[in-house]
Amino acid sequence: MNLTINGVETPIESGPLTSLLDVLREELGITSPKAGCEQGGCGACTVLVDGEPRRSCLTPAASVDGAAITTVEGLGTPENLSPVQQAFTHHYAAQCGFCTSGMMMASQAYIDGGGTDDREAIQHALGGHVCRCTGYVKIIDAVAAVVRGESFDPNVTAAGTAMTNLGGMA
Amino acid sequence: MKAVGARVPRYDGVAHATGRTEFVDDVRIPGTLWVKAFRSPVHSATMTNLDTSRAAAMKGVHVITWEDVPLLEYGHLSALGIPADEPLLAKDEVRYLGQPIAIVAAPSEEAAMAAVAAITADFQERPALFDVRKAFDADAPVIHQEGNWYTHFENEMDRRQIRKGNIDEAFDKADLIVQGVYRPAAIEHAPIETQVCQVVPEANGRLTIYSCTQALYFSMGVVAAHLQLPLNKLKVVGGTVGGGFGGKVDTATETMCALLAQKSGKPVKWRWTREEEFLCSSTRAPWHMEVADAVTKDGWILGRKMLTLHDSGAYSRFSPYGLTKHSFHHTGAYSIPNLEFNGYVVYTNRTPTTAMRGFGVTSVSFATETHMSRIALELGIDPFELRLKNANRIGDTSPNQIAYTDPSTVPTILAIADAVGHDLTSEYAGMTPAQRSGDLLPEHLVGQLGNPEAH
Repeated sequence: MNLTINGVETPIESGPLTSLLDVLREELGITSPKAGCEQGGCGACTVLVDGEPRRSCLTPAASVDGAAITTVEGLGTPENLSPVQQAFTHHYAAQCGFCTSGMMMASQAYIDGGGTDDREAIQHALGGHVCRCTGYVKIIDAVAAVVRGESFDPNVTAAGTAMTNLGGMA
Repeated sequence: MKAVGARVPRYDGVAHATGRTEFVDDVRIPGTLWVKAFRSPVHSATMTNLDTSRAAAMKGVHVITWEDVPLLEYGHLSALGIPADEPLLAKDEVRYLGQPIAIVAAPSEEAAMAAVAAITADFQERPALFDVRKAFDADAPVIHQEGNWYTHFENEMDRRQIRKGNIDEAFDKADLIVQGVYRPAAIEHAPIETQVCQVVPEANGRLTIYSCTQALYFSMGVVAAHLQLPLNKLKVVGGTVGGGFGGKVDTATETMCALLAQKSGKPVKWRWTREEEFLCSSTRAPWHMEVADAVTKDGWILGRKMLTLHDSGAYSRFSPYGLTKHSFHHTGAYSIPNLEFNGYVVYTNRTPTTAMRGFGVTSVSFATETHMSRIALELGIDPFELRLKNANRIGDTSPNQIAYTDPSTVPTILAIADAVGHDLTSEYAGMTPAQRSGDLLPEHLVGQLGNPEAH
């Protein structure tokens, strides 16, 4: 089997019924998709398969042979954050961070599909992605901001000028 | 002080947004064995004939039972001299569904599951106890040999009690007794990251423990005690928690993984399934709270009697600490001068319960606030005014006799009234937390006053 992962064509050695999640995490060491429930219930393992959000824990590798897979590693880097990554940082949309990868991939698909900044539409798009920390408001704020094309200075948070002496942002 | 009043970016925000945060499950260690548990299939039973021999004979499989634990019983409160009541692995009694009995490590997840399936034991089931109200009945199922509730509060008291003022006089003088019973249910924390741990036996004889714990130093002490190792044999790597909310304060996995790493000489990893997380991990406790208040027609609360049954599940863990916090807060944000509080940590055959966001206090806040509204309803008094009248003020004392120096009840209630557009009379609208005087210092509140300067 072969997968094109974040633009790189990659031969796959795992068996055909291995979950895409295990292919990514265990065979390839791509750890942004998380094993939250391995039952398709939490959304933490979500990646894009040919642009569509998919639960990688329920996706047998053979069923996506030849597909293009996008994970958070394919969005941007700390030095060059993608708009979704910038917005999630700016709006404090990640707290513990464990659901964040799946949330961002579902958000990316929503935005790529021409989604609007309507909050109910965003909620619908992120339905089935469970977050226990944020209460979802900040996540929806972040997605809406990306749809509106807002840009972010990394030294300014949603709440005001950021501190730079506590680590994190350079 | 630059950060005070400013909004700071999360120190881990960019790492989260780029998928680079290394959670415990993301640590890559070649040659790691998978860990799985053989757990009690019943709520309460005597266990005999535990047989792990078939599992242990499987290729590459390592098994531990109670016999492999140097110190079988140790608790998070043991360091305070409180006797432990929970074995790391069940020996001859099981007290909750899912209690760990034997733990295996194997070269793959599938092999570990096969090894667990090869373990057998006999269980002579007993009636289980789930209702704390029945724990004190003469014919109730017996959870622990020493009884159905925890008996190691100070001076070996079997309850946490508070006495303040003269409760009988308060109830004699009351115009009305207002009673209520409040029973918040258990809640599973449900972090998106399930319990997970990796332990690596190092060449220098140390164990490196990658832990998702919220309480790294607790876990370090607990592992060292069970294994009877000095702390310098353990290197615990933590601080990255995929959601905890209190549910990762107990040491759920580290000790058993450390024992398996020692026994196998190989790195081991245990990642609970979502099913295990729901069935076997600790929850917030359910509580049973009974409140009876002696009140006057014009809305003063002269006294409170309260009984709390704190459901600890099968083992006490941190519950005595949670109940102590609960007792200190049992008047809520209000000054009640005459008190009789009795609280018991009661054993049941539930999964052991633990901290969750305001351990012990959220339950009593729910009860006291609901009760305040009930009093207002029964007396026909504005619920905001009832709260403001009895609100903690500077110099008032808490149930455990601490004089308040900066109580926030009055400004908080005023802000709520403002936010919801609730009109107050001028007498209440202009209220401050200043020390009591005049109409706000009736006779029954004089004796409870303390000196805020004393703290």
